[in-house]
Amino acid sequence: MAIDVEACYRRYGPMVLRRCRFLLRDEERAVDAMHDVFVQLLDHQEALTQTAPSSLLHRMATNVCLNRMRSERRRPADADEELLVRIASLEDLEARTGASAVLDRLFGREQVSTRTIAVLHLVDGMTYEEVAKEVGLSVSGVRKRLRTLRSHLQELEAA
Amino acid sequence: MSHRTPDWMLERIALGELPPKELAAARARLASEPGGLERLAKLEADDGATLAKLPPSQVAAEVARRRRVVEASRSVEARSTSRGWLPAVALGAPVAAGLALMMFFSREELPERTRPEEVALLETTRTKGLEPKLLIHRQTRGEPEPLADAARARPGDVLQLSYVSAGRPYGAVLSVDGRGSVTLHYPESLTGSLALAGGTVSLSSAYELDDAPLFERFFFVTSTEPFDLNALMDAARQLARSPEDARRAPLSLPESLSQSSLTLEKSP
Repeated sequence: MAIDVEACYRRYGPMVLRRCRFLLRDEERAVDAMHDVFVQLLDHQEALTQTAPSSLLHRMATNVCLNRMRSERRRPADADEELLVRIASLEDLEARTGASAVLDRLFGREQVSTRTIAVLHLVDGMTYEEVAKEVGLSVSGVRKRLRTLRSHLQELEAA
Repeated sequence: MSHRTPDWMLERIALGELPPKELAAARARLASEPGGLERLAKLEADDGATLAKLPPSQVAAEVARRRRVVEASRSVEARSTSRGWLPAVALGAPVAAGLALMMFFSREELPERTRPEEVALLETTRTKGLEPKLLIHRQTRGEPEPLADAARARPGDVLQLSYVSAGRPYGAVLSVDGRGSVTLHYPESLTGSLALAGGTVSLSSAYELDDAPLFERFFFVTSTEPFDLNALMDAARQLARSPEDARRAPLSLPESLSQSSLTLEKSP
């Protein structure tokens, strides 16, 4: 699916920028990340089939921002940001737990990062059902991922 | 949990990207919330402000510029690898060794400052979570201990290597160490099958770290097609000549092969 960046940005750019702004809390860094989201979108245009990609772009923006937060290791400004930074800083949970193998077998597909799933549920407030629909997993799959994550972030039990 | 329409849903409502029934229900719910429609109006105003501040043509130009940088980096890497790799596959090890030397010197001709940046750019633009993975567990008396990248390890540590092929049908696992040695872990011999299985697959035998100094870096190379294992080993030996490169730089491989690595830092 060929992407017309200008048209795509006109429709989705403000949403992507708001997402980056929300996660990174800095206008300049958000604008920079927003550009990278569209670079990534172009990188994967051959594989894109969605006609309404707001959900995809929302996830891509989340992932780009989490990767930046992980590499920047900024000091969190408040409790909400601390949670985000902690999620972003988690090492590759899939690799550490082997959960990826189970999911790959079950769904025969590439994975959405557990960190992204965690942000959708814990920060954005999506229900298990909503996250499952968003990322294309089963509700039990999402629950299982978050159960794994909770063992690494004890305080999330209360979330 | 709050009953207020969440921001992500507000975005979908504004874009109209929900199934018709869901969209109607979400709009009705938003309209019934205190300040709901004002939030929607504010978001639409922000859309306009963003597009005025960062015009589509300007953003498209910047995205195109960034993409050109990425593609140029890939092109440089592909050119350098095609000189050293593809003929090696066809001509065998003695000629490959000569070509590898040529490649070594041709890479030296590149401006010094550009190469690390290119590598860094390539690393950061890979999509996380979409790549095959190598897993390493250290055998202990209790539960096997998973080792992350840059984990500390000691001579004598017994490691169980596993891979997740992520759908790639062919692959190999090898390591380079701080002494410049290259060890093939999978397949078990240079004539072995490169076929990968699905799921998490543990290699048939564990690996004991020797007393080579500094580090042991493990590579997982995968492909959609069979590839020349001898040429891969040559690329690894070339990388292993410089400890600094062996620790951080990627293997020089054709674009059809993807690679991931995990480095263990050695303690005496």
